[in-house]
Amino acid sequence: MAAAPKHSPQLFESIEKVEITSQVIMKITRHCHHELEKQLDPNVNGVLLGLINENKHTLEVTHCFPLMNSDTDEGMEINREYMLEMERSLRQVNIDYQQVGFYQSTYLNTHCDRNFLDSVFDYLEEMNEAIALIYDPLKTKLGNLCIRAFKLSLAAFELYKEDKDFTALMLRDKSLTYENLFKEIPVVVKNSTLTNVLMCELDKVQDNTSFFTLPTSSYLEKSMQLLLGGLDEINQDLQKLNMHQRAVYKQQTQIMKHVQERKDENAAREKNGLKALPEEDFSKMFKPPPPVGRLESLLSANRIASHCEMIEEHVKSGIGKLYLADSFMS
Amino acid sequence: HQETEEEGSSGINAEYGYFIQTNLRMASEARPVALPVRKVIIHPVALFNIVDNYERRHDNNKRVIGSLLGRYDKGVVIITESFAVPHQETEEEVSMDMEYAMRIGELQKKVNTNLYTVGWYSSGIIINEYSSLIHAFYKCQCPTPVHLTIDTLMTNQKMKINTHITLPIGVKNGTEGCIFTPVPYTIQGAEAEQVSLKFFQQLRGSKKTPNFNDQEQIINCCDEMISQIGVVLGHIKQVLAGEAPADKELGRQIMEVVQAVPNLESDTITNMLNSHMQDLLAVEYLTYLTRQQLAVSARLNQIL
Repeated sequence: MAAAPKHSPQLFESIEKVEITSQVIMKITRHCHHELEKQLDPNVNGVLLGLINENKHTLEVTHCFPLMNSDTDEGMEINREYMLEMERSLRQVNIDYQQVGFYQSTYLNTHCDRNFLDSVFDYLEEMNEAIALIYDPLKTKLGNLCIRAFKLSLAAFELYKEDKDFTALMLRDKSLTYENLFKEIPVVVKNSTLTNVLMCELDKVQDNTSFFTLPTSSYLEKSMQLLLGGLDEINQDLQKLNMHQRAVYKQQTQIMKHVQERKDENAAREKNGLKALPEEDFSKMFKPPPPVGRLESLLSANRIASHCEMIEEHVKSGIGKLYLADSFMS
Repeated sequence: HQETEEEGSSGINAEYGYFIQTNLRMASEARPVALPVRKVIIHPVALFNIVDNYERRHDNNKRVIGSLLGRYDKGVVIITESFAVPHQETEEEVSMDMEYAMRIGELQKKVNTNLYTVGWYSSGIIINEYSSLIHAFYKCQCPTPVHLTIDTLMTNQKMKINTHITLPIGVKNGTEGCIFTPVPYTIQGAEAEQVSLKFFQQLRGSKKTPNFNDQEQIINCCDEMISQIGVVLGHIKQVLAGEAPADKELGRQIMEVVQAVPNLESDTITNMLNSHMQDLLAVEYLTYLTRQQLAVSARLNQIL
C-alpha cells in the first residue's frame, strides 16, 4: 500500500479506460442504497481494489469494500486498521489487494468540494493511476445506471502539490480552467464468462417500470436551489477578488504618493542646501496584500457546470416522457 | 480410501464420526431453540461474490466455501452479502479457517450495521459429511444457518442454486444426526440493484460503457414496452377467437392496466402537459445561460 510515490506524467496519462466487473458495481450499489435509506445525504465511500493492465492501458477494478464514516479522528484510526485487516484477509483468499482508488456516492452532483479534491490528491500521490468512482444513486433509481470515473488533470495535480490555494498567476501559467480541473475517464463494464452464466440464471429478475417516472418538480427544484447556491458562492468569491484588487490599487497609489513626496522634499532640501534624504525602498514598507485563493471558485464553477449538465439531461428526457404520456392519454 | 492407509484412515474415520456427533450434540444443546426458516431471499450481490470466489480459488481446491451475511425477519432469511473463507479439502480431511470467518464477520458487522452471519455457501452440489461438520460450526454462529449450494460446475447445463437448513432426525439419546432439507428461495434485489442487473444483462458477453444518455434509454424502454404490449394483444386476440382459454385473473389484471390511464378531458390534459413543458423549457434556457456565463468568466480569468 505504501509504495514510494512515483510521479511521472507518463504514468498519469497512461490510463485510457477503467474496466469494472459487475460484482463491484453491485456492491457499491448495495452499500450506497443501504446508507441512503437512513439519511438523504450520507457520506458514503469505500476503497477500490484491482490491478493495472499496462498493455491495454486500462485500470481493472475487481473488488471493493466499504468504509465507515470517518468524520472524527477516531473514526479515521478505525478505518486505517480496518483497511489493513481487510488487505491481509483478502490476500488469503486470492483477491487483488492493491488499492487503485476510492468510490463515493453523490447527491445531485454536490460531491465536488475540498474534501473530495483532497482525497483524490492523496490517492494520486500514492499511485499515479488512481481514480475516483462517483456513483449517483438518485439517478440510478430513476432507471439509468450512473457511474463515472474521475481523476485530477496533470496540471491541477502539479499545482496542488505546490500550493493548496491556487493563485491567478499559477492558473494562467498552466491554462487551467474549471473545465480541465478534473478529467473524466470512460468506464467499461466487463463480466467473466461464469458471471455471464449467472446472469442468464437471473433472467427473471427484472424491473423496467422505474424508468418511466415523469420529471417531478422536486428533483428540478433541488437542482435549481443547488445551482443558486453555487452562483452565490461564485459571487462572494468575485467580491473578494474585487476587494483584493482595490486594495492592491490603493497601495500602489500610496506608494507613488510617498515617492512623489520624497522627491519634492529632496528638491526643496537641495534648494535650501541641505543634504538629500535617501530614497528608501517603499515596497518594503508597504507589504502587498496576500493573493486570493482561486481554488474555491474553480470548484464552485465545476459544480455549477455539472449541475447545469444534469438539469439539461433531465429536461431533455422529461420532454420525451411528456410526449409519451400525451400519446397515452389523448 | 486407499488400502495402504487403511489403518490411518479408519482411525480418522472413527475420529470424524465422534467429532460430528459431539459437535452436533454440543450445538443442539447450546441452542435448543432453532428459529423457523420458511423462505430465503437472496440478493444478487451475494451470488456474484460466490462466483468470483470460485474463479479465484487455489488450483487444488475443487470447491470453495464462505459465509453468508444478512438478517433474519420473521421466518424469512434475507441474504445480502457473502465473503470467502479459506479452506482446504482433500479426500481424507477438511479444514477451514474458523477464526477468519469469525473475524471478518465481526468486521463486517461493524461496518455494515445490522448484517450478521446467517449461513454459509459452497460451490458444487455435493453435500457430504464435511458439509455437516462445517454446518455445525456455523450453528454456533447463528441459530438456524442456511446452507446455499450453487452449481458452478454446471451439471445439467444449468447453474442450479439450492438452499437448505438442517433439521434434527434420529432417536433421542441414541444415534442423532441432522438432515439437510431444502427451503424455497427467491432471488430479489433492491430497486436500484435491479437497474444495474438490467444493464448487465444487456452486456451478454461483451463490454459496454454505461450510457447516461437518457434519450437512448427511452428508445430502448419504448421498444421493450411495444413488444410487451404486442404479446398481450396477441393473447387477447387469441382469447377472442376462442383459441385460448380465458383466464379471469389475467383479464382482471389487464383491466387494471388499461384503467390506470387517468380519464380526464383532453383540454385539461393538454393544458397540464403544456405548462409542464414550458417549465422544463424555461429551466433549460436558464441553465444554458449559466453555462455561457461560466465559459465567458473562465476565458476572462485567463486574460486578466
